[in-house]
Order: sequence, then C-alpha cells, then structure tokens
Amino acid sequence: MALTVNLHSRRKILKTAAAPLFVSAATLGLNGATPPSDRINLAGLGIGGRGERDLNAFLSNPDVQFRAICDVRNERREEIKAKADKHHGNNDCAMYSDQYELWARKDIDAVLIATGDRWHTLLSIGTARSGKDVYCEKPCSMTIQESRMLADSFQRLGRVYQAGTQRRNGANFDYAYRMLQEGKLGKVHTLHANVGPGDRWPPRTSHDWLPEEPLPPKQLVDWDRWLGPCPWRPYNSRYVKRYWRGYYDFHGGGILEWGSHTVDLCQWAGGFDETAPVEYEPVEEPGLVTPYAIHCRYADGTKLIMRDTGWGDSGACATRWEGDEGWVETGDGGNIDTSDNLAADRGPVEDSRKATRNHVRDFLDCVKSRNQPRANALSAAQTHVACHAAYIAFQLGRPLRFDPARDEFIGDEEANRMRSRAMREPWRLV
Amino acid sequence: MARVTMLALLAASLCFAQGQKDLDEANTPHRSAAIWKMSTGELNTVVADPEAGDFEKAKACQRLGVVGDASSVPGVAALLSNRTLSHYARTALETIPGPAADTALREALARLDGDLLVGVVNSIGRRKDPLALDALAKLRRSDDAEIRSAAEAAIGRIRSP
Repeated sequence: MALTVNLHSRRKILKTAAAPLFVSAATLGLNGATPPSDRINLAGLGIGGRGERDLNAFLSNPDVQFRAICDVRNERREEIKAKADKHHGNNDCAMYSDQYELWARKDIDAVLIATGDRWHTLLSIGTARSGKDVYCEKPCSMTIQESRMLADSFQRLGRVYQAGTQRRNGANFDYAYRMLQEGKLGKVHTLHANVGPGDRWPPRTSHDWLPEEPLPPKQLVDWDRWLGPCPWRPYNSRYVKRYWRGYYDFHGGGILEWGSHTVDLCQWAGGFDETAPVEYEPVEEPGLVTPYAIHCRYADGTKLIMRDTGWGDSGACATRWEGDEGWVETGDGGNIDTSDNLAADRGPVEDSRKATRNHVRDFLDCVKSRNQPRANALSAAQTHVACHAAYIAFQLGRPLRFDPARDEFIGDEEANRMRSRAMREPWRLV
Repeated sequence: MARVTMLALLAASLCFAQGQKDLDEANTPHRSAAIWKMSTGELNTVVADPEAGDFEKAKACQRLGVVGDASSVPGVAALLSNRTLSHYARTALETIPGPAADTALREALARLDGDLLVGVVNSIGRRKDPLALDALAKLRRSDDAEIRSAAEAAIGRIRSP
C-alpha cells in the first residue's frame, strides 16, 4: 500500500501565516494556568491503593498532566484512566499493559511506579534508561544487590529519583531533624527506628504457596508479567489483590515496610546517607514473632536500634534520636516529644498526612531544576541496604559484620549468598 | 482525637492481619517449613527424587542457594531444562561457590534455547565466569534478539571490574 503524505502547498502555508493568530490564555499561562512548556507529563506503572494516594498528590499540582497508565491488571488500568480523564476533563490518558510501550513515549517526563517490591528496581532503572525521571514507592528493592544497582544506575544516567519515603518531607520529622542539626541534642549517640508491628508485618516472610486457582485471561490479569523477575508459582487471586506481602518471593521482608521510612529517617538525621551500619545483631524472643529488635552500629560508634515495641504515643513510623544533651521523638501523630530540657520544642507540628504532598512537590521541583530530591537514589539505596542487612541477620539469627564500601558481610558466606536473588528468565538488571 | 483514630486503625489492621493469617493457614497446601530445616544432603536428595513434586524441588533449590555446595550441583543442574524449575535451579547455581556450578551453567548453554537459555546466560553474567566468554561470543550472533542481548550483557559484566 502506498503511503499518503499530506503536503502543505506554499500557498496554504502563506494563507495560514497571514491569518490572525489566536493563543489561548491557558497556553500563555495566564489566569493562573500552567503553560504547556512548564507542565510535567506524568505516567503511572502499576498503581494500586498506595500508588493512587501518590497519584492524588501529583494531581493536586496544576503543573502535572497525567498522560498514561501501564498496569498488568485491566481493572486498574480502567480505574486510573477514568480518574485521570475526569481530573483533566478529557479522554487522553492512554492505557498499556506492557512497560516497553510506555517507555517508548517520548512525551512522558516522569513516571510514578508503585507495582510492589518485586518490580520496583527493574522498572525504575528501565524507566531511567528510557529518559524519564522516577518517583517510586517503597520498599524500593528486593535485595542489597538491587539497591546498589539502583544507586549506580541513576548516578550514571543522570535522572531524578525520589523514593516514596515521604516522611523526609514531613513537617514534624523535619522539625526534629533541625533540632538535631542545630545541636540541641548534643552529640547524637543512638537512633531508634520503629520497624512496625510484627503482628501486621511479620519480620520473617513465608516460603509457602497458596493453592492454585484457574488462571484468568491474560487481558484481565497478566500473571506472567505480574510475577516478572520473581520465581514462578501457581496463580492465586489473593496475591494480585494486595496480599502478596509476607511472601519471601514478592517481599523484601517485614523490616522493609516501616524500616524503609524510619531507618531512612535515622540515616538522614545521623548524616549516614552514603553509608550503612557495620554491625547487625538480632534480638528475638524465642518462639515469638514479636517483640523483636535489631541492634546496629555505624563505623563511628553511633547506634541504630530497629524495634517494633516500646514506643509511646508518637503514632506509626516513629523515630527517636538521643544525644548526650537530650532526645527527641516523633511519628505520624505529628507531635514532637522531647527530654525535659527541650520542653520548649514539644507540641504538634503540621498534620503529618501532608508529607506526601510535600514530597511529591519536592520531586516535581527537582524534575524542573535537575537537582536531586531528599530521598534520592543513593540515600534510598543505603537505607535499603541497611534494612536488607538487618533482615538477613534476623533470618540467620546471628550477629553480622558488614562492610558498606563493598556491600559485603565479613566472614559469613551464607549471609553473602543472601545479598542477591536470581531473576526469572528473561529478566535481568543489566 | 488523632490518637483514638490511630488506635482504632491499628486495632483494625491487627484484626485484618490475624484474619489473613488464619485464612492463609487454612488454605496453604504447600508448606516449606520442613524443607527449610533440612541439611544440604537432605536437600540434594529432594532435588534428585523423581517422586518429589515441583513445590518441594523448588523450595529445596532456593534453600540450596544459601547452603548448597559442589555436591548439590549435579542434581540442580539437571533441572535447568525443566520449564517450571529452571529458574529455581539457577537460584541455587548463581550462589553455590566453586567451579562446579560454573561448569554446569556453561554446559547448559549447548543444550538449551529460548528463555531458558537467556536465563542461563544471565546467571553466567552474574557469576562473571571468564571461561564462558568464547561460548557467549558465539551467542552474540544468535538469530534470537533476546539471546544476543543477554550475551552482550553477560560479556559486559564479565569484562567489567
């Protein structure tokens, strides 16, 4: 079949050029509208419940245009498209089930990734390679090796990355951070991270399989693509309906759930964004899932205590920082609690639920400025290395020494063999 | 008020988690706890046992990825051509120390094709086996784009410091 090409005749071009030129106020950025040249074209990869909350935060920014959704679940593709189209008042949101089609779109600037742990690193690196910036939900990696690949890839590719550890931009956490930076705590010696209720997220993940169910049509749920790099297992709808957590093959471990937030805050506060603890000692009540703790130590002697109990009323994802002149503790309750000598700093700060909006805005600003946001790939990678190392120590039930410069356990072959996981064919990280 | 809401949410989440746990325990026919307690020798026996099911062999391979040794390699390598278990076999072979695992993966290059071959090439890349470079160079000329791409990546990994 011959190609049909529309050629403008010179006369037509001249007629067009001679016509009065009308440019809408929105195009010029008048009346408070964002001009197209200043808009960030966003897409989504695997948007479930948490991802949709992130998407809401993105859509609250007038300079964001959501252009496309890619998901292996037809139901979610339809729901997210409907949401985006309603928000923008058009029918423009494209739907894909294959990430390669999304990556081929040259008009997409940034991608929100929230598939679940198993895909996060692979999709983040692939998205960066396609020339797009990434906002990725946590946990951001499945292993120590993935964490390192994530940091190295974003450094090499020069793309902007923000991990979905939004508490770095929460006003109460920021307030506590500034207290520490201003020296109010004196010399900091111990950082505490709430790694979450062990009843809800058992630190030890399961290797069991659920019973097999009939495989749904591929256009409804693409099970092979859902599994991605993970080991094959029989289909069961519960995995797809958000109950994949707690299974080793899909989950980095219970410590990664809140630890990716609270260990992250400790790494940030202590100035450890480019390293990780050198010692990890699991403390577990025999026969019990909870309470448990991992006692860690950085090279300079600072202690990091990951624990799931003994917290006051700070709320979820609490953190406590202790120095030789005082301490501060805060969590999702939004309240600042302190030692008595720092009582003037006590009290509520901003509603911590605003953290996600602040965090998304931080990312959007960096997409424009080309700076790196607060939870960039390197800091996220180091936090995840610390969490994975702690989880490995917990699984082995013995203290471990770790060399953060080499991502290597010292004198423990079994631990070193747990730093990576083979990926199912044909997937690979390089 | 905020504290009351939070406690209610926590209580609800704990009930939800307990409900999920009960359901999982009632509906999980494939349990791995016994396999996770086995010695390396016992795991090798499971892998080689023609009567053992896919679940048992899969979990034994995963466990051998942490505790397996050269004695595990023959049984695990025999699963590389099994479409369901090939990835599980690579899970063990990628981390078993010593040359036996390298040899098994190199030998598999000649008898596999398609995705299973891509997987083995990827594992060789992860192990950075320099003795595989000649075979990988031939695979760079494969008619299959996935195999060519995997071979390129593996060679790059092996040659990088």
